Amino acid sequence: MEITRKEENGVVFIAISGRLDADSSPEADKVVKEVLEGPTDRLLFDLGQLEYLSSAGLRVLLSAAKEMKRRGGKLVLCSLNAFVKEIFEVSGFQSLIDITDSVEAGVAKLA
Amino acid sequence: MATNTADGESILLVDDNPTNLQVLYQCLEGVGCKLLIAKNGEMAISIAAKALPDLILLDIMMPGIDGYEVCRRLKSDPKTADIPVIFLSALGETGDKVKGLQLGAVDYITKPFQPDEVIARVNTHLTIHRLKQEIEQRKDELEHELEVVSAVQRRLLPKQLPVIGGFQLAVRYETSRYAGGDYYDLIGLADNCWGFLMADAEGHSTPAAVLMAMTCALFRAYPKAASDPAQVLHYLNEHLCKVADPSFITALYAVYDAGRQTVKVARAGHPLPMIYHAAEKKAEELACPGVFPMGIEPYEDPIPVAEAQLQPGDRLLLYTDGLTERFNEPGEAYGEQRLLQQLGTDVGDDPQEVLAAIIDDVQRFAGAHPADDDQALLLGIVS
Repeated sequence: MEITRKEENGVVFIAISGRLDADSSPEADKVVKEVLEGPTDRLLFDLGQLEYLSSAGLRVLLSAAKEMKRRGGKLVLCSLNAFVKEIFEVSGFQSLIDITDSVEAGVAKLA
Repeated sequence: MATNTADGESILLVDDNPTNLQVLYQCLEGVGCKLLIAKNGEMAISIAAKALPDLILLDIMMPGIDGYEVCRRLKSDPKTADIPVIFLSALGETGDKVKGLQLGAVDYITKPFQPDEVIARVNTHLTIHRLKQEIEQRKDELEHELEVVSAVQRRLLPKQLPVIGGFQLAVRYETSRYAGGDYYDLIGLADNCWGFLMADAEGHSTPAAVLMAMTCALFRAYPKAASDPAQVLHYLNEHLCKVADPSFITALYAVYDAGRQTVKVARAGHPLPMIYHAAEKKAEELACPGVFPMGIEPYEDPIPVAEAQLQPGDRLLLYTDGLTERFNEPGEAYGEQRLLQQLGTDVGDDPQEVLAAIIDDVQRFAGAHPADDDQALLLGIVS
């Protein structure tokens, strides 16, 4: 798994690629927590290069979504591949977290 | 310098030269350890095995077995393998040092030595050795605790399956390299109906086990007849929301009516149930919209309930995702398609045999790659 972050116009972008599973989710969780220590209230996850997501990975994203909700912010997941999208559908998480097809649509959603 | 040494620690000094031994002895008298002495290699090995010192200072050039050989033998005996060895030698070439370190020594001091340097290095290695032992001990304690947790978890599962007329049941529960949070349960309801719960607490080890135990306790304390799948999940979720954060529990609750051979299912983030229709020789997932997993937030919308009519020979499979997310070496998951295909494979109508064939197929697929998650499977075949 690779995780990178940047901030542009008040939006924090977190890109996660590869496999987000039980082995890699502690590292992702650490990065997300670091971001959430800041005052950010708009968070975009670019999952375009994410190949696999396990329930441990879902927990990382869920924790971030809960925190953003708590602070009245917005969070969006973008560019999920078909496999990852299906995980969100089957697990019912798509009703808890906003998902868009592209990063551009995600940015628009956060505006 | 004795401040960071613990009571009862000992150091074994090995040198064939009495003068060297004496100098070393005087140099280390102040570190607060019991000092043992060996004048040759044989003696060193025998004392080390008996006294199990916390550190060994070992000369290399000695008559009989030399220091390298002593080190090699100490490292090959599990009893003495973990005792740190520092070579103390007049051989000062890089090659000599490398050879010593490659044999498993932790350090190499060249003679003639500076007493302060020897004391400092001895103290450092004693500290490392002590911390290592503490970590080992903590690890053993944790492993023991996990074994206890696993044993308790096992006892929470039903001891035996109910006998249902016209519906043969079988179950498998495969544990993984981490203790997981899978849970299943079966209860008898009125009017020849039966409730099957399949749940999976996210995560591993103790946190998952605690949530699994909570789910079990809540389910068994359900105040009414658990005959409405949506109500059961509503109730479990309401209570799990108070304790699960930041984790969650996926679950599926099915009510089987043995008289009418129908099944009603509600689903919270859990993999879809699978049905093999014998007449059409076709296995498919039971379309069941479902809600998000339990323990996150209350369900505001009604939980959808899906229903299916079964016929003789049909198979109903409930399972946890440890099965479909079992990976092989190239990193490919077993997946729903393979499971559907295997569920429809003709291996007779004994549910035990059908489950055994599924487990075998998953095992064959995964090869040497270990299971990352528990796998629970509950299968019923209409007779």
